[in-house]
Amino acid sequence: MGFIDPEIGTTNSGRYFVMTIYAIVLLIFGLFQSSIEDILKGLYRIIVEPDFLITDYIGVGGIGAAFVNSGLLTLISIYVLYWLNINITGSAISTVWLISGFSFFGKNIFNVWFIIIGVVLYAVYQKDKINKYIYIGLLGTCLAPMVTQIIFGMKGPKIISMPLGIVIGIGAGFILSPLSAYLMRMHQGFNLYNIGFTAGILGTVIVSLFKSYGFLIESRIIWSSGNNRTLSLFLFLMFASMMAIGLILDKGSIMKLKRIYSYPGRLVTDFVLLEGFSVTLVNMGVNGILGVLYIIIIGGDLNGPTIGGIFTIAGFSSFGKHAKNMLPIFIGVYLGSITKIWNINDPSIQLAALFGTTLAPLAGEFGWKIGILAGFLHSSVVLNVSDLHAGFNLYNNGFAGGIVAAVLVPIIEAFRKDETK
Amino acid sequence: MKHNKLKISKIVDELMNYFFSKGAFEMNIDVKETPEYYRICFKSRGAKLSREEVKRFDKLLRYGKREEMEEYYWFLAGDSDVDTELSLVGMMTDETKVVYDEENGIEVILYRYKEGVK
Repeated sequence: MGFIDPEIGTTNSGRYFVMTIYAIVLLIFGLFQSSIEDILKGLYRIIVEPDFLITDYIGVGGIGAAFVNSGLLTLISIYVLYWLNINITGSAISTVWLISGFSFFGKNIFNVWFIIIGVVLYAVYQKDKINKYIYIGLLGTCLAPMVTQIIFGMKGPKIISMPLGIVIGIGAGFILSPLSAYLMRMHQGFNLYNIGFTAGILGTVIVSLFKSYGFLIESRIIWSSGNNRTLSLFLFLMFASMMAIGLILDKGSIMKLKRIYSYPGRLVTDFVLLEGFSVTLVNMGVNGILGVLYIIIIGGDLNGPTIGGIFTIAGFSSFGKHAKNMLPIFIGVYLGSITKIWNINDPSIQLAALFGTTLAPLAGEFGWKIGILAGFLHSSVVLNVSDLHAGFNLYNNGFAGGIVAAVLVPIIEAFRKDETK
Repeated sequence: MKHNKLKISKIVDELMNYFFSKGAFEMNIDVKETPEYYRICFKSRGAKLSREEVKRFDKLLRYGKREEMEEYYWFLAGDSDVDTELSLVGMMTDETKVVYDEENGIEVILYRYKEGVK
């Protein structure tokens, strides 16, 4: 086992190296799936196609283009973090994997920049360092579909729609920072995708304005299927490799997983800082495989959106999620499918279960029963709130999760046993 | 930097929440501002901490300043009485000293340097 230096897990450059390898794996896998010509055509379609929920980039541009788009955006994100001298901790890993995942359904190499520019301009306006706002900038790209919808989807001359889309994208990024910090209090860190909650609120306000001027957005769904065999093989190998690298770097990682399972997972629970990089990699691998198995067991589809959900689970397995606090959420969504009007393998419900693990800290803090209740509620709320922002906020589950947590947490705290008098 | 003084208050809130949860019955807080830094001197008596818990407390407070984390998450410090955010306090401060003995309780000294000082 001497081919991997154990130092990799303990140094910042080593962690950058491991992250970069996985970005390159995504890129190479994409390049092997289609010809260069098809990939370029696919990337073009991905860029010009409106990206609001649910737009599966595998359905739009093919597997090759979708993976190349994800690999490129992942590499760019890692480089931005490196350039700004950010340490690779759970927060950085979850941010990068979230971008990798959403690069399969909504974020592309064209549309993310306007939000980031808005956040950078906010830092300049505040005479602050850009690196302080980098997570908000990268995570805030969930509002990127708003830009492409206005530029490419709005009726009328491009001379109006193009500057309008750019200005609204930059403007949204500009006000995201103060909003995201403030709105964190609403759910007290029990909703892991806080930017999703912020972007949901902001998106609701912007779309309400649009609708007042007669700019209506019809809902739609682009959802590919039939690629389960190829994609499950790739994903299983990738997550198994994470577990293997974690174990090679530290043979005691399996035992340390128990310690990870003891954390509630509420923000800020950074497993890399708390328990180390190696066991975090193992946790990411285990949870990634759990996500893939969930989709296969319920008869769902492995495609852009569900890969996005699985990558987000893997990423946040460095920042709060583990099998013990996620499983009650899955069970809650499943119980919902038995009693409610939809099926467990409906597209939106597949995503509700995967992304619903944003509420995993509720199960971690208050127990599995509350986790199941959170999953049960979340699967209904998430179906209802996407209309508010017209699918412009890619982290719709973060929006719904924030609402569920903001309702549940004060009630739970009001009725829990008081501390010792 | 925005909300600098509020951030100091949040750090103090977090420490108070933590020590209350550990059974502290007396706490003394001394906050000092100089042109270079804020210093928080926090003394607590009555908290029942195992050796492992003191070690962990010390480790969490020593993560070192991480401005990118602070900017996004600082509102959470001191905001919950069901969970702790000690690692966040560590990410919001530059220097930490923790002294503990069972008889006299715990003393924590935290330094947060002002922008451009360090």
